[in-house]
Amino acid sequence: MKTKQTIAVIGATGNMGSAISRSIATGNYRLLLIGGKPEEAKALAKQIRKENESADVEGIECSVEATWEADIIIAAVPYEAEKAVAEKIREKANQKIVVSISNPLNSTYDGLVTSPDISAAEELQKLLPNSKVVKAFNTTFAADFSTPVIEGKQVDAFIAGNDEEALKTVSELVGTAGFSPLIAGDLQVSRTLENMQLLLIQLGIKYNYNWLAGWKILHN
Amino acid sequence: MYKSFLQNFNSKVRLTEEEEAFIKNYLTPKKLRKKQYLLQETDICKFIAFVEKGALRAYSVDENGKEHIIQFALEGWTISDLYSFLTSEPATYNIDALEDSELVLISKAAHEELLQKLPKYETYFRIQITGAYIAMQKRLTSIISSPLEERYKNLTALYPTIVERVPQHMIASYMGLQPETLSRIRRKIAAKK
Repeated sequence: MKTKQTIAVIGATGNMGSAISRSIATGNYRLLLIGGKPEEAKALAKQIRKENESADVEGIECSVEATWEADIIIAAVPYEAEKAVAEKIREKANQKIVVSISNPLNSTYDGLVTSPDISAAEELQKLLPNSKVVKAFNTTFAADFSTPVIEGKQVDAFIAGNDEEALKTVSELVGTAGFSPLIAGDLQVSRTLENMQLLLIQLGIKYNYNWLAGWKILHN
Repeated sequence: MYKSFLQNFNSKVRLTEEEEAFIKNYLTPKKLRKKQYLLQETDICKFIAFVEKGALRAYSVDENGKEHIIQFALEGWTISDLYSFLTSEPATYNIDALEDSELVLISKAAHEELLQKLPKYETYFRIQITGAYIAMQKRLTSIISSPLEERYKNLTALYPTIVERVPQHMIASYMGLQPETLSRIRRKIAAKK
C-alpha cells in the first residue's frame, strides 16, 4: 500500500508499547504515540526519530484525538486497563482496526483471570462492537522485538480476528515488526493464544529464559 | 459527529431515528491534517469520503509530473476515486487534504452491506451517483465548449468559497489553464463589474 496508514499506539511508553512503536516505525506508517504522561510520549517519539530519520512519529496527548486520526489503533495496555481505553475511544474507533495485545494474567503468573470460555480479545470486541478487534503481539515478549530471530529462527507471531481485510493489514504490520506473521483463526482462537503466552511465561520462569523466548511452528 | 453527513442524507432520503442509529454503526470517522493523503494512486480506493469540515482535492499526475485537479470537495461534498472504488482496480487519482479536515468514510465493505440491508441507502447512493454524473457531464461540456469567463463563473458557482480557500494555481489546474491565463480572466471579470 502506497498511502500511509496512521497508527495510534495507546500505552506507547510501556514496555510492549515502546517495543512495538520502535519496530513498526520502520514501515510506511505514521505513528501517534500516547503515553501515561504526555512528555514521555513526546520524548519517545523524539528518540525514535533519532534512531530512524525517516520515521514519521509524533507524541500526542489525547487518545481520543489520536484515534480519530488513526486507521489502526494498538491498545498496548494491560488487560485491566482495556475497558477504560475502550470507553474512551469507542466512538472514534468505529469501523477501525483495534489490536489487542494483552494477556489477562493473574498476579502470580500461574493462571488467567478470564474464564475459559472467553478471551481478553473477545471481551474487547464486546466493548467495541463496531470495531475490528484483532489479536496480535500477545505471544511475543518486548525483548523479542529487538531480537525477532532467536537461534537462527524467525519468531512466529500469531494473529486472530474475524475480519479478513483487517487480518491482512495486521499481518503486514507484524511482518514490519520483524516477525513471521501467522494467522491462527477467528477471534475465538485468542483463548488459545492467551494461554500459549501463559505457558511461555511459566516456562520462562522455570527455565530462566530471561524474557527472550518465542514460538516457532515447525512443519514440513 | 456525523451531523452534516446525516443532514445531507436526510435531505435526500428521510431516515427514522432507528435507521440513523443503524447507519452510524457503519461509518468511519476520520480526521486528516492539511497535506495528508487519503489516497495515493495505484492503491485500491476502498472508501467514499464525505467532508464534514475542511477541503480536499482529487488530482491525477501526468507523465511529466504535472498535477491536474479533477475535483475539489468542500463541506457537504463527497470525494473518492469512484472508478477504483467500484471496480477494485488501482486508483488513478490522488486525494489529499487542502485544510485540516473531518471526514466520514464509508468503506467498500460497509457500502456493500448497507446496500443489502438498508434500501434507503441504495436510494441515497443512486441519488449521489446521479448527481456525480450530472456534475461530470456539465464539467466536460464546459471544458470542451464554454468560453473561459463562463467556465470561471461556473466554478465559483459550484464552489462558492473556493477562491478564498485554495491557491490560484490549483484553480488554474482545475480549469486546465496556466496561472497567468487565469489571472487575465479574473482581471477581465473584475473590470466588467
